[in-house]
Amino acid sequence: MTTARQMGLISCHFCHTLSKLPNDIDEKSAKKQTEIICPCCYSSLHSRIPNSLSRTWALLLAALILYIPANTLPIMTVTYWGEGQPDTILSGVMHLLAEGMWPLALLIFLASIFIPILKLLTLFGLLISIHFRANWRPKDRTVMYRITEFVGRWSMVDVFVIALLVALVQFGKTASVSPNLGALSFAAVVILTMFAAHTFDPRLIWDAMEDDSSGEISAK
Amino acid sequence: MPSSNSHHNSANAQVNHIACPDCDLILSIPSLAVNEVTYCTRCDATLLKNQKNSINRTLAFAITGLILFIISNLFPLLSLKAIGLTQESSLLSTAFALFQADQPLLSLIILLTTFVFPATTLVGTIYILIQVKTNRINTYTAPLFRFLRSTDAWGMLEIFLLAILVALVKLGDVADVIYGVSLYAFCLLILSLSLLSYSLNPQDVWNKLRDKQEVSI
Repeated sequence: MTTARQMGLISCHFCHTLSKLPNDIDEKSAKKQTEIICPCCYSSLHSRIPNSLSRTWALLLAALILYIPANTLPIMTVTYWGEGQPDTILSGVMHLLAEGMWPLALLIFLASIFIPILKLLTLFGLLISIHFRANWRPKDRTVMYRITEFVGRWSMVDVFVIALLVALVQFGKTASVSPNLGALSFAAVVILTMFAAHTFDPRLIWDAMEDDSSGEISAK
Repeated sequence: MPSSNSHHNSANAQVNHIACPDCDLILSIPSLAVNEVTYCTRCDATLLKNQKNSINRTLAFAITGLILFIISNLFPLLSLKAIGLTQESSLLSTAFALFQADQPLLSLIILLTTFVFPATTLVGTIYILIQVKTNRINTYTAPLFRFLRSTDAWGMLEIFLLAILVALVKLGDVADVIYGVSLYAFCLLILSLSLLSYSLNPQDVWNKLRDKQEVSI
């Protein structure tokens, strides 16, 4: 079990071309001196995503803060015969349930409530586990990361539904739908967690394994 | 300087090996049969795949996709009929409706995810694959392909299709919903886009770029 970094190689994030680290310079000082450029795709090479942990923390905390207005503020207001009814994410799901559209309620519940919470908790857990250099089930943690990265974007479905309703239901005082700030906050949560998942480097999960043998400090 | 021998060894390792993108493990590159996929032995990440005729097939799906994308934008996707009035919506008008409703940021997000990124994916993929096929790779090919790979997750048309279905069910018992011509094109567009990302093997493009680079050196 040898990693590219132990062999003095850097794998390009984009094209997976292996490049040699400059001789006798460890990555930290090399980063300060010159950028290493991938010979194949000209991207800037890094053995691990630079400042991956602090960037992921920042994006995750921003998402966590915006998660509050996303759930407390109304996402849209449906006006029917002059009477406006603002809906939050949760009350929207409840309305669908009350109207007997449970498959739709389930879908919106999964996309707008379950997935965002799962994503925030997973990223939070991964970051904590790396800070404590956990050896606990690295493979399962990597799988959790992959699931988070894959399903995150589907949370946007509710934002698109609001957009479609706003575009379609414009019948003056009879019936109209207008978007509210909750929708923007929710879209921001989805986008921020997508960026957070993107800046998180899953290789840090595995670095704890080699640190045990070499005693090298790398996660920071 | 390292001795020439060790330099040679690591140069070999660079060519015959690949590092797992998810756990950095060094693995030797196996020879793959058609439609075979290799996974990392430590973390099960997908490492490499061998797609038959990937560049030609992907190009075909991208061109089909671009035609369908244009048709999807020419006509309304859905129309809603109530109290004698008809409201139409298309990809661009959905984004524009939010702009009119005083949500410019939300409008921008919709515009980027349902129009700008899908359009750049289609046009960019066609451009790059034609360059690769005709051996006319230039210095912008690699950065452009990198851009396309990193913005892949931000084109969200398949999610928009799901949103259309949700909106249809929600509105179905309140008003008359009329399916636009573009809705059929849009469904086929989603199919083309899925086939495009299934058939595209980024490593094929990178290998071409790498060969080109070595020739020029």
